[in-house]
Amino acid sequence: MSAGVGVDLENLWIRFGDFVAVRDANVNINGGDFFSFLGPSGCGKTTILRAVSGFLEPSEGKVLIGGKDMRGIGPNKRPTALIFQNLALFPLMKVWENITFSLEISGASAKERRKRADELLDMIALPDQGDKLPSELSGGQRQRVAIARALCAEPDVLLLDEPLSALDLKLRQHMRTELREIQKRVGITFIYITHDQGEALTMSDNIAVMRAGVIDQIADGKTIYNDPNTAFAASFVGENNVFRGKIKQIMGNEALISTNRSGELVARISTANQGKLAVGDDAMMFIRPEAFAIASDGASGDHFVTARVNHEEFEGNVFNIFTEGDGGKEIKVSLPNLGQSFDDHTGQNITLEYETRNAVLVPAGELAAE
Amino acid sequence: MRFWFRRVNWPRNKGPTMPGFLKEFFNRNGIGMGAAILGLVLFWTIGLIILPQLSMLDFSFRPNLPPPEIGGPKDVYTLENYKYLIYGPEGGSQSYNAVDLRVFFRTLLAAVCVTVFNLILCYPIAYYLGQSKGNHIRIFAIMLIIPYWINEILRAFALRIIFGETGVLNTLFVGLGIWDTPFDFIRNDIALYAGLGYAYILLMIFPMYNVIESLDKNQIEAARDLGAPWWRIHWRVVIPYAKPGISSGCTMVFMLSAGALAAPQILGGPSSLWFTQLIYQQFNDNNDWPQGAAYAIVLLVTCILFVLAMMRLFKVNMGDIGK
Amino acid sequence: MNNSFLRVSIWVYLVIFFLYLLGPLVIMSVTAFNSSAFPRMTPWECLTFQWFGELFQDQRILNGIKNSLIIGAGTVVLSVAMGLAGALMLTQIWPKLRATYYTIIIAPILIPGVVLGISTLVFWDRINRMLGLGADSFLSNGIFLTVIGQSTFIASYCMLVLVARLQRYDVALTEAALDLGATHAQAFRKILLPFMRPAIASAAVLAFLASFENYNTTTFTFGEYPTLTIELAQKVRYGITPAISALAFIIVALTVFFALLNEAKLKRQELVAAARKSATVEELAGKVKLPSLFAGNMAAVLLVVFAVATITVVGTATAYNPGQCIANVKEQKRLEAEQRIQELRKQREEQRKKREAEEAEQGGAQQSTPKPSNNSGFGNVFAPNTLGGDAEEESSDTETPPSNNGGFGGVFDPNSLQTDQ
Repeated sequence: MSAGVGVDLENLWIRFGDFVAVRDANVNINGGDFFSFLGPSGCGKTTILRAVSGFLEPSEGKVLIGGKDMRGIGPNKRPTALIFQNLALFPLMKVWENITFSLEISGASAKERRKRADELLDMIALPDQGDKLPSELSGGQRQRVAIARALCAEPDVLLLDEPLSALDLKLRQHMRTELREIQKRVGITFIYITHDQGEALTMSDNIAVMRAGVIDQIADGKTIYNDPNTAFAASFVGENNVFRGKIKQIMGNEALISTNRSGELVARISTANQGKLAVGDDAMMFIRPEAFAIASDGASGDHFVTARVNHEEFEGNVFNIFTEGDGGKEIKVSLPNLGQSFDDHTGQNITLEYETRNAVLVPAGELAAE
Repeated sequence: MRFWFRRVNWPRNKGPTMPGFLKEFFNRNGIGMGAAILGLVLFWTIGLIILPQLSMLDFSFRPNLPPPEIGGPKDVYTLENYKYLIYGPEGGSQSYNAVDLRVFFRTLLAAVCVTVFNLILCYPIAYYLGQSKGNHIRIFAIMLIIPYWINEILRAFALRIIFGETGVLNTLFVGLGIWDTPFDFIRNDIALYAGLGYAYILLMIFPMYNVIESLDKNQIEAARDLGAPWWRIHWRVVIPYAKPGISSGCTMVFMLSAGALAAPQILGGPSSLWFTQLIYQQFNDNNDWPQGAAYAIVLLVTCILFVLAMMRLFKVNMGDIGK
Repeated sequence: MNNSFLRVSIWVYLVIFFLYLLGPLVIMSVTAFNSSAFPRMTPWECLTFQWFGELFQDQRILNGIKNSLIIGAGTVVLSVAMGLAGALMLTQIWPKLRATYYTIIIAPILIPGVVLGISTLVFWDRINRMLGLGADSFLSNGIFLTVIGQSTFIASYCMLVLVARLQRYDVALTEAALDLGATHAQAFRKILLPFMRPAIASAAVLAFLASFENYNTTTFTFGEYPTLTIELAQKVRYGITPAISALAFIIVALTVFFALLNEAKLKRQELVAAARKSATVEELAGKVKLPSLFAGNMAAVLLVVFAVATITVVGTATAYNPGQCIANVKEQKRLEAEQRIQELRKQREEQRKKREAEEAEQGGAQQSTPKPSNNSGFGNVFAPNTLGGDAEEESSDTETPPSNNGGFGGVFDPNSLQTDQ
């Protein structure tokens, strides 16, 4: 997959006065990858994108595109094309003029541009819409026009700044697939910015999880979901139940934690933290709601949590049980809907069971805001 | 609009340095465009606004010399031009320059009167236009703007036709037998006040209209619901809300009336001068530029101080003006 | 009852207000068509177009218009450019400087025009001297000084108009253009400028009007190039003629015309936008033309009425010859004057008679009451054409008591003979 042009960030710092927006970012993005920066708003991911596209000069460090240092090269000279959060379609130009703006700049004839526009309109499945104004299109159509406009510039790297955030849920899910397909078809590097972990997980080859200017983890989606590096990554990507405690004992890659409220439990130390944790450290254990199973009554040990059921809800694909743990901590359990019958447990005490590989231990740290 | 400002300002609210700002400015606009924008702005602010004012200030402290002597030994700073306004010519018969001082205070007082007159005249109209809906409002707006597009001189001329000795008003009143002999509107300055008020109606209405238009109708409804009489609704709800507009309008009308030249020249009586006319005379008839500059400075500074004092008195913020 | 009283008083107030606002303009316009040599509406003498002719033969007025156009063009270019630069700077200036900067660029609106004119004159005169240039250099040229002086404050107006639109501009559009390979200049020309075009047009019109009508600043800076406004002021100050009314009428008419045109255009755009909303692209081409220009568009209707009226007036003006009427009025004035003289004489005669009577009374009491009618009849012999006027003109003084001697008197008046034919 090294057909495209790669992007590297080396020791990248970006400061605005005293405020550090990006702190020592090191990222290697392979050519032809679909790479996502995932993080809450204000974490600095858009800043990184603007540094790559050339609207911002890094305070320190380098941005390399195709191995070439981009310092001093303006956005109009870089082989990147940016799709803006609000799309930034030129409101006074017709759709076809929008799409072929880069050709207009390079001095192509109107006829040539029209031809290219029709090709691209076919590609984004909007034939015969070229003479409309952007304001006459629907949200999803505008989205696709913005992509076509960026692709028309034949960039080596396409940068997307939360392009789906303005769409409704159905359309957003549809556009995910479509974007991924377009990326596969054109084969260039996509750098995608989002705060929606669903988008990042479904589309990306690799994901960088960002928090307050710092990149916590870079890995593929499965790794990030199953084997997070930090408490933030564990709590931001997907839903998770957190158990705080101190490490009581370390057994190879596993550890026994004495939790604050649920007694002593066994967990697997996450890959990045193996060998770095010591007995007595504050740590956090994460178990996904779907990793629990209901055990028979009275079972106990270091794989079992007892809890009292607060309320339950049926979500269609899953059945959610919200329980109150020993010390009053809430635990969410999701049982897949496989056609079984769900008993009403409200008010009862149940015992939950998990497997060690599904309980991930990381050093105590900042959690993602709810 | 919110979006624009947030986007533009966010990075720099963290307090970068001046060179940092310039660097970013050129990054954002490019070297060529940035230089063009910066050049035009500097030319305007410094070359056309600041330096000429400073130059006039400097000039007002110099004696009136023939061109060859400028920069020579006699070209020294002096307060003479300002003293002249207060004490009159040296060795004059009077201890104070009564004529010029009287003109000066009369001008200020008259400008205040014109402002108050305009405020009272325009407030109901601004309120009506701001709170009514419908096609006729647009027609009213056009009718308001049209006179403003007509030359200042011609507007004064129109009033002169009306207020003249054989003008429409006198013909009408004498014809109806209300007066026996034509009333001299011009000598009594009525024509002048009417003309000044006439000239700046729009400048009074628009700022007030803009504010009142944004006043939520429900507030008035609520006040009426609570049984407030109409004058109390205005006093307690509308006027406090419209204060920025009222102060903008009053400031503009006052400054422009005090600085008016055409209307006093055309509509003023032969015996009553406007302060700007004195300045005009110093420049064009007496050829005494430094003296004229000193008078201009006095006018400018007094007007600004007066407006600031009024704003403090009525508790208006500087930021509200010019909206 | 209270409510309707309020409504009536609002309307009365509106009527009075707009009378104050528009009345002077109407009266001034009307005086342009009265043949009286002093601009007045009453007494109405004759409908005439002569003042327009006089206006167009006035070299100073024509020259003033030329200068005004040159200066206006220069001011528009300079103020719109500075206003746009000022607005762009305002939206991205260093925040600590913003308040100061805003105060500086807004101040010229509030500084009296007289002060601006003087400071411009003084400053550029000094620059001129510093550079060692003569009194006829470019820097002391009236056109240059006036353009500079007017632009100082007109640019502030332009800035306000432009910044209002600029605030609705999304900088991401410029960034998108840059990102797609445009240079900064291209992004400005192809993206920002088209977006700003309506505001730039408004600012340009505003700048031109402000320049055209400016007096206070220009009066200090015009040098050898008096603008129309300066010429008008000179004329108005030293003797007014209806030719000025004629010019005023033209300006009022043009203003009304363009105001209506603009309103009609806006209304049309609204209608088109409304139509567009409910139409697909295929329908649009046909549908936009369908709602006639006049449907629901008051301004357009008025515009057409206005145009028809203009054509009628101009048509009448070319065909109409007020010479006859003017001659009559002149004649009548002469008569009135004579009549006045006559009355004076009559009074004198009466006094003489009285004295004689008194003297006679002293002599003989019988002759004490001479009939005054005899005397008046006698006097009227010298006011020969009251009747001639009567027969001819409604404007003639019908209250003149019919006199036996009137017909007789008419014989002496050659004019009345001519009019009889």
